[in-house]
Order: sequence, then C-alpha cells, then structure tokens
Amino acid sequence: MPHISFQDVTKKFGKSTVIHGFSAEIEDGEFLVLLGPSGCGKSKMLRVIAGLADMSSGAIEFDGTVINGLEPKERKIAFVFQSYALYPHMSVYDNIAFPLIMDRFKSWYHVPIINSIARRIIRNTAEVKTKVMEVAQMLELEPMLSRRPRTLSGGQRQRVAVARALVRDPDLYLLDEPLSNLDAKLRTQMRSEITDLYKKVKKSFIYVTHDQVEAMTMATKMIVMNDGEIRQIGTPDEVYHSPADTFVAKFIGSPPMNIVEVTASGTGADLPNGEKIALGGKAPKTGAVLLGVRPEHVRVVDANKGVSAVVESVENLGAESILSLTFGAPKGSAEGKGSKILAKVGGSSIARAGDTVGIEFEPGTFRWFDADSQSALN
Amino acid sequence: MTVVTEEAKAKRPRNSSSRSWTRLLPYLFIGPAMLYIAVFVMIPLGRGVQLSFTDTKLINPQGGELVGVENYAELLTSERFWNSFVVTVSYTAAIVIFSLILGTLSAVLINRSFRGRALARALLTFPYATPNVAVALIFLWMYNQSSGIFNESLAVLGIGEVGWLGDPDYGLFSVVLATLWKVTPFVMLVVLAALQSVPDELYEASRVDGADVLSTFRAIVLPHLMPTIRVVALLMTIWSIRRFEIIYLLTGGGPVETTNVLVINIYQQAFQSQKLGMAAAIGVLGLLLSLIVTVVFFIVDRRASLAESQ
Amino acid sequence: MKKIRKVVAILASRLVLVGFLLVSAFPIYWMFNTSLASDAELFGTGQDFAPHLERVGEVPQKLEDVGILGLLANSAFIATGVTVLSFLLAVMAAYALSRFKFHGKGLSGFVLFSTQMMPEALLVVPLFALFATFGLLNSLTGLVLANTAFSMPVAVFIIKTAIDKIPYEIEESARVDGCSPAGQLGMIVVPLVLPSLAAAAVINFFDGWNEFLFANTFIRQQELWPASVGLAQFMGQYSTPLSTVMAAALLFTLPAIVFFLLVQRQIVSGLTAGAVKG
Repeated sequence: MPHISFQDVTKKFGKSTVIHGFSAEIEDGEFLVLLGPSGCGKSKMLRVIAGLADMSSGAIEFDGTVINGLEPKERKIAFVFQSYALYPHMSVYDNIAFPLIMDRFKSWYHVPIINSIARRIIRNTAEVKTKVMEVAQMLELEPMLSRRPRTLSGGQRQRVAVARALVRDPDLYLLDEPLSNLDAKLRTQMRSEITDLYKKVKKSFIYVTHDQVEAMTMATKMIVMNDGEIRQIGTPDEVYHSPADTFVAKFIGSPPMNIVEVTASGTGADLPNGEKIALGGKAPKTGAVLLGVRPEHVRVVDANKGVSAVVESVENLGAESILSLTFGAPKGSAEGKGSKILAKVGGSSIARAGDTVGIEFEPGTFRWFDADSQSALN
Repeated sequence: MTVVTEEAKAKRPRNSSSRSWTRLLPYLFIGPAMLYIAVFVMIPLGRGVQLSFTDTKLINPQGGELVGVENYAELLTSERFWNSFVVTVSYTAAIVIFSLILGTLSAVLINRSFRGRALARALLTFPYATPNVAVALIFLWMYNQSSGIFNESLAVLGIGEVGWLGDPDYGLFSVVLATLWKVTPFVMLVVLAALQSVPDELYEASRVDGADVLSTFRAIVLPHLMPTIRVVALLMTIWSIRRFEIIYLLTGGGPVETTNVLVINIYQQAFQSQKLGMAAAIGVLGLLLSLIVTVVFFIVDRRASLAESQ
Repeated sequence: MKKIRKVVAILASRLVLVGFLLVSAFPIYWMFNTSLASDAELFGTGQDFAPHLERVGEVPQKLEDVGILGLLANSAFIATGVTVLSFLLAVMAAYALSRFKFHGKGLSGFVLFSTQMMPEALLVVPLFALFATFGLLNSLTGLVLANTAFSMPVAVFIIKTAIDKIPYEIEESARVDGCSPAGQLGMIVVPLVLPSLAAAAVINFFDGWNEFLFANTFIRQQELWPASVGLAQFMGQYSTPLSTVMAAALLFTLPAIVFFLLVQRQIVSGLTAGAVKG
C-alpha cells in the first residue's frame, strides 16, 4: 500500500521545467528506486510526492485518491532526508517521539507555556513511551535515547532518522539519498538494514539515489531519470539487460555498456575501418546503427581471431580484470584512434598494455540502438 | 488509513483547508511588523513630508497653509541651513573615520591572547554600554572650563586652558571626542568578531612566506575585513546623521552654531522658533542625505564585492 | 636589530592598549569619583583624584531625595516594554523574511531598514500629533510604542541572519511529522536561535533604556520621567548637587553595563552572523 499513479506530473521553476510529464503506475508494496545523475529531478520528484513541493501540473494518486492538495501529514508518509534533519536541540527520544506528539496536538497547544506543558505530558504517556521504545529496540538505539544528535555518529544519526519514520507507521516511506553521507563500509551495511526493514514492514518504499549499485541491489522496480524525464521504468533485470536507450545502457552497470558506431548490413556489422563483426543473427535495421554490448560479454582471444584490437590498459581487480582496448582503427592511422571498448574477463589477465589481441562477442547479447534517437531497437 | 477509498474512480482533490491559508501565511507573519511600522513610522513620515510644504506653527499644529516649496527654497538659500549641513558632514566624517581606525586598532590589539584579556575586553566595551545621557553628563563635567578635569590637567602640564564646549574653535572637536568615546567600542566588537573568523592557516602561510606583522595585516587581514568594515561604515554614517542626545545635552547646537547638526536644527526650528513646517523640511532633507549615502554605499559595496570575488 | 624592533613593537602595542583601557575606563571612574566629592571640592579647592569613599554612606539618601528609584523604574518599564513588543513582532517578521517567498518581500526588507535612516527629530512632531489624538501623550506606553518602531527592525535583522543559518530540511522534517508553520517556528526554529534572540533582546533593551528625545517631548509629568530625562533636568537645575547627579548617572549606567557584559558574546555573534559574508 498504496498503489501510486503518476499522471503527467510536471514541475516548473519559473521558466525552466525541472520535471517533464512524469507518468507511471507503481504497484503497492514495491521498493521503487528513482535513479539518475545529479540534477535529473529525482529529489524534486520525491519532494512533490511528499507534498513538500507543489507540482505545476498533473496529478498523483494514492490508491485512486488524488493527493495533490494534501499536506505531507495527510498523505501518511515518512521522509528520511539526506542530512537526516534531526532536531538538534532534542534528545533522541524526543526526536522519535515528536511525530507522535504532533499526532495528539491540538491547535490551542501552540500557546507558549501551554505548549511546553502539553508536550511534556504527551511525551510521558505510556502509549508514546511504548511506541518509542519499540522502535528504539528495533534499531538498537536504546543506549542513546537521552543523547543529542550532535553526539552521535553518522550511522547512528541515520538510524534515528529511520526510527522517526518508523514510529509513524506510514503507508509510504520516502528516502532521499540516505546513504550518501556515509563511508563505503557503513553504506553496504545500511543498505542491507534498509532492505531488511522493507521486508519487515511490508510497505511501499520510494528511494532516491544516484548510485546505480544501490539501485540494482535494493530495487524491486526502478525508474531511471535524466534531465527531468523518465528514461525507463522496469525491474533491475529489465533495466540491465534491456536498456531503453543509450543513456540507461551507459548509466547502469559497472563498467557501463559499450556503445559502438557500426554500419549494419544483413548479418554483419561494419566497423569504420572496414572490419566486419559477425553478428550470428540479423541486425534490426541496415545502415548507421549503434551496437551495445556489456563488457562481460566481450571475450579477449588470440590476435588472429575475431576483430583485432590493441590493449590500452589493464585494471586487475583480483577476481576479475577490466581491459581497455581500442579496435576498428583505419589502417595506417595514428595510435589510439578507433573505438574504445571495455572488456571484463575473469581472474587476472595476462595481457599487457600494447599487446595486440582479438576480441569476440558473446552471441545474442547485442543491444541495438538507433543512431539518431538513441532508443533501443530490440 | 485516511487515503483509502472505496470508489475505483479517482476523486477530486480534497480541498484541504491548510492549502488555502498556506498562501496567506507569509503575510500573517510579516503583517504585524509591517503594520506597526506603517502606523508609527510611515504615516508620521508622510505627515512630516506634508508639513514640510506648509507654514504650520507650533501653537497650531493642525492648521497651517500650503506654501509649496517655499520652505525648501528658504532653506537652500539659508546660510544657517548650509552651516548645519556642513557641520553634520564634518561631524559624521570625523566619527566614521576615527571610529573605524581606532576601533580596528583596538580590535587588533585585543585579538592576541594574554592574561586578563577577557577583563580588558570587557573594560573596552563599557563606553558603548553607557547611556547617552550619562555620557553627556560626565563629559559636560570633564569639559567644564573652570573645574573640569581636562582643564585641570592641562593646567598641571603648564598648557593653558581650552574653551572646550564654550569655544567655537573647539566645540565640534569636543562633541566629536565625546561621541567617539561612546561609539568606538561598537566598531571594535564587530571587527573583532570578523578578525576571529580569519582562518589560522592564512596567518601560518604568511609566516612561511616571511611576511612581518604589518605586511600580514595589510595583505591578508585587511582584505578579509573589508566587507565587515564597509557595513560598519554605513551603519556609523547613518547613525551619526541621526545622533541627537549627546550633542544636544553638551552644546545645544552652539557655540555659535558650530555644532548645530541637522537634527538639532530641526529641534530648534520646531520647539524654539516654533516653525513646524520649516523643521519638517529640514528633516526631509536630512532623510534624503541618508538615502543618498545608503545608495552610494550599496553601489560601492556591490562593485567592491565583485572585485573581491575575482 | 630585528629582535629590538620586535621588542619595541610589542612594547608599543601594549602601551597603546593600556592607553585605550585608560581612556575607556576613566570617564566612568570619574563619574564615581565625582559622586563622592563635595561641592566645595568640586568648585573650589579642586576635585581629588582619589575617591572619598568615606562618603559612600551618604549617597543612598541623596539619591532617594531625587527619586532615583522612580526614574529608574520608568526607564525599566520602557526598556522591558520595547524588548517584549519588539520580540513578538520581530521573530515572526524575521521568520517570514528568511523562509517565505512572497510579493513585497524586498519592499518589506527595505522598509524595515529605512527606519534606521529616519531622524527621530523629523518624526517627533507628527508622532506628537498622532499620540495626542489617541491619548498616548504623557504615557510610558506611548514611549514604548514609539521606541519599538525604531528598535524592532534591528532585532529583525539579527534574528533573520540566525534563522538563515538553520538548514530548512529540519523544518520540512517537522512538517512531515505534522507540525504547523507556527509550531515549526516556536518549537523548532526559536530554540535553535536563542543566542541571537538574546542579542536582539539586549539591543532592544538598550534602546529603551537610552530613550530620551520622545520622552523629553511627550512626557509632561515628572513622575513619568525616565531616568534619561530626569538626569538631563538635574543638569540644568542648580539645586541638585553635582555629586548627586553623578551618582544618579552612575546608577543609570550600571545596569546597562552589567547587562551588556552578560550577553556580550551573543551580541557580537548575533550581529556578525551575516555581516562577514555580506
């Protein structure tokens, strides 16, 4: 819960459009990741979903009800900010208890002295205490309940932020790049903690990140964005193996998919220097076309087999190696010319920079893209 | 779950009451302050401007006929007015220049740590905390020609006595001195805070480069302070144009109008000569002066900031 | 050579600093000294440099004779009134200027700033007429109202620069938690800018404590004089001994100094919060 429907959502800032016609249908209970480079509009989109920002046109529905005009509180959401946004002057306990206090707040509690008294009373009620302790236990925050945020480490603060979201028992969890302020090791750990949380609460999550590894490992559904537009909606699998355009192809995967310019004809593809790549099948169209192949599907073989290539550099990562090669250079041209391709091979490669080798492609792994529109052809 | 609905069709957005008054909110917050200023500053200001075009007298504040720009014409050709103008400018210039120099100097001197520094700093700020009337009173006594400590000390040193507040040659000087005593600590405090924001690394780098204290100050510290100094200069300027109590209580504008700044002139015109219209006209001109100064400041500051960020 | 230059420089700077200290402290010390001198000494034989501490006991009676407590009470009333009223208006205005976008925002900022340029003398007469109409003449409340108009914008500036420094995400978080805008201001923002609030409060208090011009013009009754006006009046009268006047002036000065010392650090950080960056 809930099923979310995005209907042509647009957001403008003065003259510039930050989000163009965002439309999608997301089933309830999905872990949706909004993935894209910085500035692509994903964080803005999250804020629009939360109700912290207004959309210029379009509509968003939760389970069939339009939520456009609703305040964040009324949307039954929780929001975890990139900087955690913990209340610095309150203890961890009070931070977590705050949403519960707000739930029970009457408008006349705003009056200054009544305010402090009311808050103190509510804070100490059994109901509030139980809920806070429950959540604190779940996230191992009990020893820190009386401490202030500034005395906590990054990871602990993040857990307090999550606790504050949890305690509200929302229908929808919104997380804005929550791991970007953590170091690599902590990040990996927190990733699995968030996924565990998702499995436990069984609610919908929308997660914003620019890190495709996070997206690929955590998402049940992904929306890849660029420049305020949706490039592809799909499962991690779909996005990886069937990218909708070259942007998605190059954004997902580490290292990214290789995109090569070729001229296709029938069952072969011609490189600029005339060499032919055997396709083992038909190209979707003839003429100038973009050929996409992932590095792990590029095989490095002996120099007299396949297409000849020169090794530029080798990155030895232990379990695998990444070779940077140039191939397809016209005969007699200067060094370094031609198309660059990355190959991922298992184990430690014996190739050295400057070696001439041959490259072959695993059959059936080609993706084709239109040279003009950049979108997928197969 | 408040968002659950039985209907399969989408519902029209629930016009949440919170949304409509969200747009009003900023005005609710800033309204009271703005309203307050409108009533207690803007309306009187308008009335003051209106008065400046009349010949209203003190005995009949509501009456008075429109005389157009007669007041202004009279002022702009009046020697007395121009004297006020010159005195105001001299007074302001002296205050700004010397308070900046002395204030910055004292800030620099107190910036090093030494024993008793907190006490010293506190002592240096006492003058600023002293109420204007008290400042006027004590300086009045110190300036006393026959029994004041200043002349007594001069006598001890063998130099003759000075007329201070009674001497046309020394009147403005005396008044400036008293004002400087009071306001310099303000400059010191602000500059000190700015000084303390200079990163240590800058000092270290200049030491490595072999610069001595004076060069370091000129090349590194001063540029860092410039934005702050500019703001302080503006504040000191517009406050000096307004400053009333100290001058009024020390000299009342004399002797021979050598300390007759614009605001004193206004007061005299209003309550002694009883010419409210004229007083208002002087006031408007004084306000214009402040406005021009502010505009000039913003232009200079913008240009300087741009240059600094290059 | 360099060593000597350095020593001389240090000595010179120490000397100058001592000079500043003496200049700063002397007039206040002199106020104290004068308050303990007799008329005969002051105008006749010459004021002694050392204070006549033996006369300290006489001072309270002399002060009572001139009704110093009443005067100070009036000053305190004005100062407190200005502080409280300014606070209420300024906190909301500062929040609006810091957080909201709205038509007339720039204008509002300018209007607030422009009050600092207004010569009070220009506004004295129209305000006199305005107060006369509403029966606010000859009242301390009237003085509070007049003074706040000029004092409050400074508070707005100080508080606004402090609010600017708080990341907006904290308020967004409160909003998601169901907190109203008023609640965000009162429960989240205000606790985080307390130092600046203190700085603004002290500055407002000073303005009220210092108030002279409006009081001098609007107040007719002696009982309502704030200390500033009272002291100025004593100056003119020859019936009040100079020593008493000085004692009163000192008493008028001391609370201000104490108050200032207590919150000095706050004032400076509050004032310079935005000034350095510009």
